[in-house]
Amino acid sequence: MAARIAAEWFSICGGCEVTILDIGEPLIDVLKQVEIVHMPVLMDHKLFGQTGENAEMEIPAADVGLISGGIRSEEHKQLAQEMRKKCKVLISLGSCACFGGIPALNNLYTTDEIMQKVYRDSVSTESNGLPNEQIPPMTDRVYALHEVVKVDAYLPGCPTTPEMVAGALLALLKGEPLPTLPAKSVCDECPTKREKKSVSTLNRRFEDPEFTPGAPLTEMRCLMEQGFLCLGPATRAGCSGHDGTPRCIRAYMPCEGCFGPLNEKANPMVDMMGALSSIGLDPKQIPDRAATFNRFAGAGRLRPMPRR
Amino acid sequence: MGKTLVIQPVTRIEGHAKITIQLNDEGNVDTARVNVIELRGFEKFCLGRPVEDLPRITPRICGVCPWSHHLAAAKACDAVFGVEPPPAGKKLRELCNSVAYMEEHILHFYFLAGADFLLGPDADYSVRNVMGILKAAPDVAARVVRVRHMCAQMLEILAGKAIHPQAAVPGGFSKPLAAADRDQLRKMADEALELAKFSIAFAKENVFPKYLDVVKSLGVITTGFLGTVKEDGALNLYDGKLRLMKTNGTFEDFPYDRYTDFISEHIESWSYLKFPYAKQWGDGFSMDGESGKGVYRANTLARINVCDFIDTPLAQAELLEFREKFGRPAQLTLLYHWARLIELLYNAENAIRLLDDPEITSTETRVKVKARAARGVGCTEAPRGTLIHDYTTDADGLITNVNLIVGTTHNNAPINMSVTQAAKSLIKNGKYDQGVLNTVEMSIRAYDPCLSCATHRLDGKVSVKLDIFDVEGKLMDTLTN
Amino acid sequence: MGEAFQPVIIALCCNWCSYAGADLAGVSRIQYPPSIRMVRVMCSGMVHPNLVIEALTKGADGVLMCGCHKGDCHYQEGNLRAEQRAEAIRLMLADFGVEEERFRLEWVSAAEGPRFAQVVQGFTEQVQKLGPSPYKQ
Repeated sequence: MAARIAAEWFSICGGCEVTILDIGEPLIDVLKQVEIVHMPVLMDHKLFGQTGENAEMEIPAADVGLISGGIRSEEHKQLAQEMRKKCKVLISLGSCACFGGIPALNNLYTTDEIMQKVYRDSVSTESNGLPNEQIPPMTDRVYALHEVVKVDAYLPGCPTTPEMVAGALLALLKGEPLPTLPAKSVCDECPTKREKKSVSTLNRRFEDPEFTPGAPLTEMRCLMEQGFLCLGPATRAGCSGHDGTPRCIRAYMPCEGCFGPLNEKANPMVDMMGALSSIGLDPKQIPDRAATFNRFAGAGRLRPMPRR
Repeated sequence: MGKTLVIQPVTRIEGHAKITIQLNDEGNVDTARVNVIELRGFEKFCLGRPVEDLPRITPRICGVCPWSHHLAAAKACDAVFGVEPPPAGKKLRELCNSVAYMEEHILHFYFLAGADFLLGPDADYSVRNVMGILKAAPDVAARVVRVRHMCAQMLEILAGKAIHPQAAVPGGFSKPLAAADRDQLRKMADEALELAKFSIAFAKENVFPKYLDVVKSLGVITTGFLGTVKEDGALNLYDGKLRLMKTNGTFEDFPYDRYTDFISEHIESWSYLKFPYAKQWGDGFSMDGESGKGVYRANTLARINVCDFIDTPLAQAELLEFREKFGRPAQLTLLYHWARLIELLYNAENAIRLLDDPEITSTETRVKVKARAARGVGCTEAPRGTLIHDYTTDADGLITNVNLIVGTTHNNAPINMSVTQAAKSLIKNGKYDQGVLNTVEMSIRAYDPCLSCATHRLDGKVSVKLDIFDVEGKLMDTLTN
Repeated sequence: MGEAFQPVIIALCCNWCSYAGADLAGVSRIQYPPSIRMVRVMCSGMVHPNLVIEALTKGADGVLMCGCHKGDCHYQEGNLRAEQRAEAIRLMLADFGVEEERFRLEWVSAAEGPRFAQVVQGFTEQVQKLGPSPYKQ
C-alpha cells in the first residue's frame, strides 16, 4: 500500500521543496510508492474543502508529514498542530523548521520596529494604512517547529540536501529507522590545508582568499586561518552531499553555518567567539557577531538587542 | 450578503495566498481578492548586517529564484563599492543567470502550471498535478525531471551550490571556470536547448491551440509593462536599463537608480503584499475595470513586449511569430506561458553563447573592493519580474537602509484584476464547482507568482493596550484590540 | 526594605593558585560573604565561555573567574587564554541580556588569602547592587 505523505510550508522560501526535486530521476520511483495527500506547491488539496466552504481547516491523515519553514503567524501554529495530529511521523525539513533559519533574524527586532520600517519608513511606499483584515496575525517571534509541536526527525540545511531527503523517505518507506545526523563539524569534511591555528587580523568577506585557480582545494589554506570568518567549526557536517566537499568551500567562500549548530544545546556564537579569541583574534574586530554566528539558528538564540 | 468562498491555499504556485470570493445574494461575484498571507521582513533584519553578507542572505527570500536575488544583491554591492566586475566575472554571473532561468521556467511550465493544460482544468484534483503527468506522459515527464535536475547540476559545477549560492561577490565572481568543466557544461547546455526547442514546439502544437478560447478570455486585462532591455533595445535578463511601457505601446527608459521617480507602492488592508503602480504616469492608482489606473505588469509577457528584439536566432524567430499573431504589446494573460517558453529558448541559446566565449575561462573574475559609505541600486530581471535591491551603507560597510521591490510584487494589482475578471465571468448564479474554481486559479498561475519573494516584508496588526488604574495606582482593567 | 538579597555567585577557581588562595583564606579564618559556590578547575584556561554564559543564563547572579597572576600559570599560558576569552565573554553578555558587571576575571595567587576574601567581598557588593539575575526562575 502506498505511504501517504502530507507536506506544509510556513515561513519559507521554497528552496527545500526544490531540493526534493533535485533528487532527480530516483524521485520518480519514490513518487510511485507514495500518495501525496496534501502539498500546496505540487497538488490541489485545499484546506477549507475543494470549494472553499468549510469553516475549519483540515488536512488528511498521513504516514509522513514534512514541514518546512519556521512559525511566524498564528495560522502557522494552527497548521503545525493539525499536521502533528494527522501525521504519524513529523519531520522538520530544512534549517528554518529545525532552528528558525534566516527569517529568525527577525528575532533581533520587535514586531513594532519591523512594522515601522516596512510600512512607514520605506522610500518607495505611501504610508496610507496597515494590512489588518482577512490575514493572519503574527506571533511575537519566529519559532522553530519543535518549539510548538513534537518533532520526530530533523533534516537541517539551507537548503537541505537531496541525499538527506531521499535517505529519510526511503528509510520510512522501508520501515527502517531514519539515518542519524552526523555529529561532526564541517571542518571534518573540508579538504583545505591546515597549517597553524592562528588568526590575528580579520578579513571582511568581500576580500579575496588566496588560492590557485584550477588547483585542487587541498592546496588552499584553511579560510579561517586566512582570516575569514568561517563558521565551519561550529556547524554540523552534512552539506557536501554526493561530492564530499562542503558546498560553499567549493566556491572558495567561507561556511556560513547553514546546517545549524552541532547539537540542540550548542551555542555557535559562544563557541566561535571563544575559539577565535583563544587563537589571538581581538573579539572587538568581529562586526555583527550575533547575526553572523547565529545566522540560521535564531529561534531561541536571538533576542531584541538593547537600543542605545 | 451571499456566500464567502475561501480558496486556501492557492496551489501550484510558490508561496502563500488565498482567494476570498464574496458572492452577492444572486450568487454572482461581488469581489474577488487575492490575499497574500505571508510575510517575513528582510528589509528590517538586513539593517546592521555587513553589506557583503547581503548576497548570501537575500537569496533566502526565495528558494526558487535565489540566483536573481543573489545577482541583484551582488550588483547593488558593486554599486555601493563603486566598482565594475571584470568581463569574465560578469559573464559567469550572466551564465549562471541563464542556467537558473532554464531550471525555473522548466519547473514552472511542467511541474506547476502544466497539469492544467496536460490533464485539463476540470480533472480530479488528485491527478491534476505532476504525479498525474507522470502517469499520463511518462517519457516526457522523465525527460523533464532529468533535464531540470541537470540544470541544477550545472549550477553546482559553476558555483559550488545551486540553491542559495554565494559565488557572486562584490566585484565579481568567486570561482573561475576550468576548461574541463566548461566542456562538460557545454554538452549539458546542448541537451537543455533540445528540451527548450521541444517544449515550445510541443506547446504550440498540443497546448495553445486546444486552449485558445481560454487564452482569449481568461483573466484578460489591459495594462502597461515593465522590463529590462540593453542599450540597443535587445532583451536582456541580467543587465541593462528599465523600460516602462503604456497600454498604447509608447514607453520611457530609465536607469535603475531612478526607480523611485517612476514607481510607488500602495497598501491595501487585506493583503500583506503591497501594490506598486506607475506614479510617473500621473493617473494615480486603481484596480477597477479592465485597465485600472497606473497598473503595469512584469514577468515574461512584459519582457517580451518591451524588448525590440531578441539577439539569439531561434528565440528571435519565435518572437516574430508571436508578434504576428498577438501584436505588441500582447495583453492576453495566458500568453505569459507562451512568452515563458520563448524565454526558455533564449536562455538556452544564451548559455551556449557564453560557454563558447573564450573569456569565460579567464581567471580574472573579481576586483578588489573597499568599504565606504554609499548608496547603490542593483537590478536584474527575475523570472517573475524586475527585481530591485537598493542598499545604503555607513563608512564601515554596514547596512543602514534597504529597500527591495521584488518581481511578483509588480504583478499584485494585475493578479487581483485577472482573478476578479475570471471569477466574475465563470461564477454565475451561484453555480461553481472545483473545476471552475481551479480555472480561476489558472489566471494566477499564468503569472508564475513567487509570493515568498513578494512578501519579503513583515507586517502585522498594530496592537493597542489600555491599562486603567484607580486612584491608588492599582490596575483595574486592561483593554486591548 | 529588608536586607539586601544574597546573590549566588559561581566561582571558577584554578587549582594551583586561586583555589589554594581561597583555601588559605579559609584556614586563616578570614570572613567573606557566603555568596560564592566554588568550582575547582585545573586551569583558568580550561573555562569554556559556554560555562560562564550557561551559569548566568540559568540564574546565577554572578560568575567569578580566578586564575594565576600572569607569568605564574602552572601550564605557562593558560591564564593568557582565559584573559582573551574573558574579553569575548564580556562582549557577548549584552547579547544575552546580562549586565557586564555580573562577570569578573581576577588573578589571585596561592599566598593571597586576604586578597581572595577582598575580591569576593567587592564582587558580591557589585552584584548586590545589580539585583537578582534577569534569568531568575
